[in-house]
Amino acid sequence: MAKTRVAMELGMGSSLRRGDYTQAAVRALKDALWHNSLSMAEAFSFPKEAMIVDVEIAVQHPDQVDTAAVKAVLPYGTGAVTVTHGGLDIAKPTQNRTAGASNKTIIAHAAVLVSFDMERKTTTLAAAGDPA
Amino acid sequence: MTRLILELGAGNDLYGEDYTKAACRAVHDALHHSSLTLFRTLDLAHGDMRVNVTIGVQHPDRVDAALVAAELPRGKAVVTVVQGGQNITDPNSGTVSVIASAAVEACLDLDPNNWQLSQT
Repeated sequence: MAKTRVAMELGMGSSLRRGDYTQAAVRALKDALWHNSLSMAEAFSFPKEAMIVDVEIAVQHPDQVDTAAVKAVLPYGTGAVTVTHGGLDIAKPTQNRTAGASNKTIIAHAAVLVSFDMERKTTTLAAAGDPA
Repeated sequence: MTRLILELGAGNDLYGEDYTKAACRAVHDALHHSSLTLFRTLDLAHGDMRVNVTIGVQHPDRVDAALVAAELPRGKAVVTVVQGGQNITDPNSGTVSVIASAAVEACLDLDPNNWQLSQT
C-alpha cells in the first residue's frame, strides 16, 4: 500500500500590511494545523515520527516564500514543503497606502497532507488462530 | 472507539440572535478545515464512525441539537450543548452578536493490530 494519505488539513493566512508571502504562508499553515487535533499515530499505534507531513502552499509569488520558515512551524514529522502559484493578491486603494507598508494584501492557502508508509497486516488472522 | 481527530470551529449569528444558526456555522467551520482521507485510502466504512459534537453557547437551551446534527454528512452524530461561546452586546443599539464554539470528535473502532508500517 506504501505511502497512504490518512488526513488533510486546510488553512488560510494573510499578510495585511507587510506584503510578506512567507508570513502569510506561515499563518495559513498554523490555521490549518491548529483547527484540528489529529490522533492518527495513536489510533494505529505508530510512532509520531513515522508521520509524513507534506505541506502545499499557494500564493501569487511562490518564489518569495521561505520554505524553511514554513517547515519550522511543523512540530514533528518528515515531509516536503511545496509552493505553487495560487492564493490571491488584492491591490489596496490608493488612499489606504502608507509609507513603509506594502500596497497589496496577500492571501495564502495551506494544505497539510498527513500520510504513513503503511500496509494492512496480512498475517493477523492466521497468527490469531482464526479458523476463517 | 478510538478518536481519530478533534476538529475545532467557531460560528456566529451577528444580528439575528439565532443560537442554532451560530452553532451550525461553527460545526461547518470545524468540519471544513480537514478531511479524513483514510476512509477512502484504507477502504473503511464511514457509517461506523461515531461523531461527538460539543457546542458552546451562552444560552444552550436555545440550540436545536437536531438541526446541528443534520450538518454532519457522515457517521452517527451525538450533539451536546453546554454553556460557553460568547455574546457581544453593542451598548448603543442593544444588538447581541452570538458566537458559538464547536468541537467535533470523529471516533472509529479501529484495531491497530490490523495495521503496520510498511516492512519493505
